[in-house]
Amino acid sequence: MSTNGAPVPPPQPSLSKTTASSNGTVPPSVFTLPQTAQLEALYTIIRDKDTSRGDFLFYSDRIIRLLVEEGLNHLPVVKKTVTTPTGSTYVGVGFEGKICGVSILRAGEAMEAGLREVCRSVRIGKILIQRDEETTQPKLFYSKFPQDIAKRYVLLLDPMLATGGSAIKAVDVLMENGVPEDRIIFINLISSPEGLRTFSEKFPRLKVITGWIDQGLNEKAYIIPGLGDFGERRYCE
Amino acid sequence: MSQLLLRKELDESQRASVPLKAQKNTLLISHGRPPWYGPDGKCISDAFVIGVGGGSASGKVVANSKILSNVYSVGSSDSCCAANSESLGLDSDGPYPLTSQRTLSLSFDWIVTGFTIQDSFYKYHSPKEIELAFESKFDFDHPDAIDMPMFASCLADLKACRQTNIPVYSFAEHQRLQETKYAYGATVIIGPSFSPVDSSISNDQSTAEGIMALHDPALRSLYDLKVFVQCDSDLMLARRITRDVKERGRSLEGILEQYLRYVKPSYDNFVRPTAAFADIIVPGQNNSVAIELISTHTRRQLQERSNSFRPKMVTSSLHAPSLVNEPLENDPNLMILPSTPQLEGIFTILRSKDTNNQDFIFFTDRLSTLLVEHALQFLPYAPLTVTTPLGVKSHGKKLISKYLCGVSILRSGSALERGFRRVINNVPVGTLLIQSNSMDGEPLLLHLKLPVSVRHRSSAEETWVILLDAQIGTGAAAFMSIRILLEHGVKQDHIIFVTFLVARTGGITTLRRAFPHVRIVCGTVDNEMREGWLEGDRGEGNEDGVGRKIWVMNPGMGQIGDRYYL
Repeated sequence: MSTNGAPVPPPQPSLSKTTASSNGTVPPSVFTLPQTAQLEALYTIIRDKDTSRGDFLFYSDRIIRLLVEEGLNHLPVVKKTVTTPTGSTYVGVGFEGKICGVSILRAGEAMEAGLREVCRSVRIGKILIQRDEETTQPKLFYSKFPQDIAKRYVLLLDPMLATGGSAIKAVDVLMENGVPEDRIIFINLISSPEGLRTFSEKFPRLKVITGWIDQGLNEKAYIIPGLGDFGERRYCE
Repeated sequence: MSQLLLRKELDESQRASVPLKAQKNTLLISHGRPPWYGPDGKCISDAFVIGVGGGSASGKVVANSKILSNVYSVGSSDSCCAANSESLGLDSDGPYPLTSQRTLSLSFDWIVTGFTIQDSFYKYHSPKEIELAFESKFDFDHPDAIDMPMFASCLADLKACRQTNIPVYSFAEHQRLQETKYAYGATVIIGPSFSPVDSSISNDQSTAEGIMALHDPALRSLYDLKVFVQCDSDLMLARRITRDVKERGRSLEGILEQYLRYVKPSYDNFVRPTAAFADIIVPGQNNSVAIELISTHTRRQLQERSNSFRPKMVTSSLHAPSLVNEPLENDPNLMILPSTPQLEGIFTILRSKDTNNQDFIFFTDRLSTLLVEHALQFLPYAPLTVTTPLGVKSHGKKLISKYLCGVSILRSGSALERGFRRVINNVPVGTLLIQSNSMDGEPLLLHLKLPVSVRHRSSAEETWVILLDAQIGTGAAAFMSIRILLEHGVKQDHIIFVTFLVARTGGITTLRRAFPHVRIVCGTVDNEMREGWLEGDRGEGNEDGVGRKIWVMNPGMGQIGDRYYL
């Protein structure tokens, strides 16, 4: 019997690669949560237009927490040895590297509480991106980042990935600030297959953690079935 | 004269119980309920039921209280006797004081526990009967007034260590009420015996006082010991007159009329013949020898039923290596959280002895959130279609458990409660206080407060329970808590036990064998269980704070409750 008693976990991947979606295969840089009945039940609650705001907040927070937990699993760890209260030596791992969150205003802010529950006092930067009425392209209106963001791993937060326009613009801004592509992890609750494809073709080394991949977009570029406007439901309704 | 003496004794013991109320905890700690089941998860024995019959004012109540205090006074402190008379609840104020106090005694005072109250079991009356009752023309002393089948089923539940819901009868309304009183955990049941409650109720009805104790064959078959308190009719009448005039301020005529009309025929026709069924006939006065005999018998019966449970739990796997090799990972009902870099990092922080309080609490909360999230996938779900704000139909799923609740095993189980609340926000969370006896390490049930849906058998069968405890080492507390839930009627496969750590060589093997359908969700499995000394544990029976021998898990997380709360 080993004295360090390191856990011997079963070879069970925590992240499942989604093999099926309505529009074919999922890019290799995209990871989803384990698609359990329980997760489906959570999504059913937040999709329902009759769900109260209190329930919407509570259940979307639960999903966000799970997403952040999964996102963090893509960060590096280093071997670390500690002494336990029983006096034994335990060989485990320590967290490596600084992180920061960056939320895309305004819906992305909804994910900050969940992030802080998992990563205590993490620094959080903000980006405001709006559609430019003249060019119809996404345009950066405002950004505020920690000074040393170039040395950090960035968790980019936006609840919905529809066309991918604003997310791509946000990554562009981050890279302009010196963050390497492979140090960014994009976390969202629901994404469209089209948006995922566009996004991961542009940034193949950037990992995307998504909770659910929906059917597609409608003519107004809303995700179907989706859950409506996340920020609107969370803050305004 | 001797009767007055007895009554005086009783009054004194009641008085003695009053100052003790403030120290109820102390009292409970020395009188928890030790395991009443074997390593196979089956009940070792039923509760010991003593049926005491006899006429009204024959001295049954006094005899009972003496039996109880005798049974538990030997080898323990005086407070025990005081606890007994307190649990008898003979004297109290308020409209219906005895039931509530009785129920308290049933749920708190494990060893003593118990009295079934026969006048709770008056039948549900028709409007006509209620009319008669208000005119004092209803014969409450007749066996037909009492719902014997219900009484028998409640007593049978208690005897079989199950919970029961005792009906509540209102003398003000002369009707059985909708509500019931929850009772569970008796080890000795003496009944039916009862001091009439009508001292606080101003009507002329007599109450049944358990006079029918030995009348019903179904009830008789439930008693382990049948006692009849024999007393001459004239003495009983004399006592009754003294009591009713003095304590209840009744007129002599009224007492005599009631006596001749109901009490006497009832005694002659139904009560006295039942003496033939008794194992022991106790005189209604000067009965200390008889009481001593009964107490000794009961004590011996109880002693034979006690067992040392915990060593069997641990050693079963320590000394049977073949079982240890059976990998826990293959057990379909033991879910180990999938290992990820983050999970390993969390465990590294929690296992380190140098981790400060703040970090320990933060990462414990994070881990418990993940564990409860993981556990919820084992609840039942059914398809559901909803409409999204875009007007589109979405096919999803819905949780369909009728009742869901948490039960945390104090103290360290509450370290998982914040995580539980982050995931499930609108369900009740019950508590069980299980501590190990500092003398022999046996688990002791000291207190239980279960969610309402578990208290009632019908809803308990449809309740899903998430049990929370920090670790399964010897498994003794886990074993006891599962046992308690099963006795309440919760189904084995409706119990999900959520815990941080499981010791591979600990009680888990016994636990799995006894309750194979209970699901266990844990963070990780530790390989070793070893005997250690807990230093400076100042507690009950260990005021000097000398080391106490305990089983510790290795590498473990230390004393999780202490690190989280102290």
